[in-house]
Amino acid sequence: MKTILQLVKKDYKLFLKDKVALSLTFIIPMVLIALFGAVFGGAGDFEKLSLGFVNQSSSKVAKTIETTLDTTKTFRLIKSYKNEKGETVLYDSNTIKTAVMSGKFSAAIVLPEDAFTDTSSSLKMKFYYDPKNDMESQVIQGVLQQTIMQSIPEVFTQSMQKKSESFLGKDTGKMFNSEMNKTISKYFKVDTSEIYGNMNKGTTKKSTDTTKSKKGGFNMFDNMLNLEKYQLVGKQVTNPMATRSVGGWAMMFLLFSLAGASRSLFEEKQSGVMIRLLSSPVTRTQILWSKYIYNMTVGIIQLVVLFLGGMFLFKIDIFSNFLNLMLLITASSIACTAFGMFLASFTKTSAQANGLGTLLILTMSAVGGSWFPVSMMPETIQFFSKFTITYWSIEGFLAVLWRGSGFMEILPFLGILLGIGIVVNIVSYFNFKRGNIFRN
Amino acid sequence: MIQLKNVNKSFSTVKALDDVSLEINGGEFFGLLGPNGAGKSTTMSILIGYLAADSGNIFINGEEVKTDELNFRKEIGFVPQSIALYDELSAEENLKIFGSLYGLPKPELEEAMNSYLNAVGLYDRRKEEVRNYSGGMKRRLNLITALLHKPKVLLCDEPTVGVDPQSRNAIFDFLEKLNADGLTIVYTTHYMEEAERLCNRVAIIDSGKIIALATPDELLQMLPTSEHIYITKNDATVSNVNVFKSYGEIIDNNDRYELRLNKESKLSSFFGALENANVNVQNVTIQKPTLEELFLNLTGKRLRD
Repeated sequence: MKTILQLVKKDYKLFLKDKVALSLTFIIPMVLIALFGAVFGGAGDFEKLSLGFVNQSSSKVAKTIETTLDTTKTFRLIKSYKNEKGETVLYDSNTIKTAVMSGKFSAAIVLPEDAFTDTSSSLKMKFYYDPKNDMESQVIQGVLQQTIMQSIPEVFTQSMQKKSESFLGKDTGKMFNSEMNKTISKYFKVDTSEIYGNMNKGTTKKSTDTTKSKKGGFNMFDNMLNLEKYQLVGKQVTNPMATRSVGGWAMMFLLFSLAGASRSLFEEKQSGVMIRLLSSPVTRTQILWSKYIYNMTVGIIQLVVLFLGGMFLFKIDIFSNFLNLMLLITASSIACTAFGMFLASFTKTSAQANGLGTLLILTMSAVGGSWFPVSMMPETIQFFSKFTITYWSIEGFLAVLWRGSGFMEILPFLGILLGIGIVVNIVSYFNFKRGNIFRN
Repeated sequence: MIQLKNVNKSFSTVKALDDVSLEINGGEFFGLLGPNGAGKSTTMSILIGYLAADSGNIFINGEEVKTDELNFRKEIGFVPQSIALYDELSAEENLKIFGSLYGLPKPELEEAMNSYLNAVGLYDRRKEEVRNYSGGMKRRLNLITALLHKPKVLLCDEPTVGVDPQSRNAIFDFLEKLNADGLTIVYTTHYMEEAERLCNRVAIIDSGKIIALATPDELLQMLPTSEHIYITKNDATVSNVNVFKSYGEIIDNNDRYELRLNKESKLSSFFGALENANVNVQNVTIQKPTLEELFLNLTGKRLRD
């Protein structure tokens, strides 16, 4: 152990002497995180977003909303889950909230029993959400509102028609409807026959141009929707966007740093230092362990420094759940260091390690959610994202910083990251035995 | 002290060492002379346990040399061919790092550092980064890094490559002093002058095989000619060329003759003949044969081909 510590000490001494490595590890990532954290905000194309859904109302209006949301291209409604016995159980208003809070999906709609009654003048709806990233949250709310607004006119006109006819009698009711159509046509510039025809059919042609609808004056429907919003998670988080960005970008730079650090094995071989080390009472395993401990601790320090940077720049609260954050930082560093060692063991030259490393890191960062939330990516990509270190680290950081998750809740993230670290290290060890780092 | 018994080593299809057997005694300054690619560095790598031999046994001071064995490593100091130092650190920091790997107590390490830094004239610049050192200074530091733990055997793999003559001489003086103090030294080189100057015994290696092993003088006696005699061409020497021919083979080299003495011809008898023929001895230059010639004679190629 003393020998290993001597070797670790040696690597720290070299690292601290290397100004370029120091700036690459701490300053450049910090500058880029500050930059991207400030400007990051655009959303790319996305596939169906998961939306929890509970319909407790028996009204036709609620059913129509459910059908509309079910058929939309934007959302995939999740109405049930499998319980411990493997049985499919429908969500209720409580279980759906728990699901949102635990991060199963970012938002849920609940249509309560009194969503729409005979005396209702508006549609009542509860919207539970976890804005763990602003981008996704805004997209969900925007698309949801648009979809519901497009459906409301048809159910309301139908409802109004029936109410007028029952209240005024059939003939007077028809006259009233006719006059109403003319008034709507006059003030909202919509064809009378179209409104009247749709009233009789019980449908209203959906506008595909929401901009035109708004300009044309359909904002009167805003009053018809009584949307109660409940932010279930992260109310206390001061800068949600930065919370996600810092974790994502920090992970990417950590991977770059550790992949770079593993190249020191090649450099030591090239300079002849490796053969000198191995001519002294030092084993190959001790050299590998010293590299591993050195890289892992540098990784931990780097992540802590970057999160501290996030705290000062974006007011991210890292201390309220610091112990769990440190556990995740350590597990992430262990997994990333294993990745770096794997690169060194798998490649034959420093240049190869560099090239392959850059490729894998950029891929992992993109797929794993360093740049964009994974939930906004196509399903296939979402599947592959689970095979990246980045994904598990970022989701873990979000759980800690966003949801304030405790040890038991982050245990799966820790387990997976440590598992990746152990498996990749074992593979690397055998690769090193066969590889050429320790050969002429 | 060091034994190699029937050591073989191949890299894919290339046979780097072919049944090499050597025995090096304690206190010897042993040279391994051969051209690039002859197997010198492979022998060194096997001796320090960096590479495993495909077959054969190696012992240093009674300890078997293996890649996973550490005990014998405390007995050896290794000077690699390249300058295996951290350029961005000072001489002192480099020495501390490598010295610490042998578990030396701090005072002992400090003492050894200061002593060797003084011995090679680097003490005053010990705190300077190695990157600012000249090639010769780096070579000297490279050498003393292998000595801090006071090894019994010093293995030097071409330790003077790229060094100016002055620094080279300083290194030779230092090594000779170490050897005089009882340190066993194994020294690989492709410079025959180095082997001739430094080594008590020399093994000549080519294509992984030891082709000759003896003291430098014994090796030179293996040459068919003992000395080279050059005779300047002038009226007196040209007219007596037949006299010279009776002592050996004459090669006409434009401005001078080269006489390769027969084995049975004696130098004293040749000089007597010169006197009888009234040829001034100042027209005659004698050169001793070199290991370079021996290598050429044994292998048909030059050491630095």
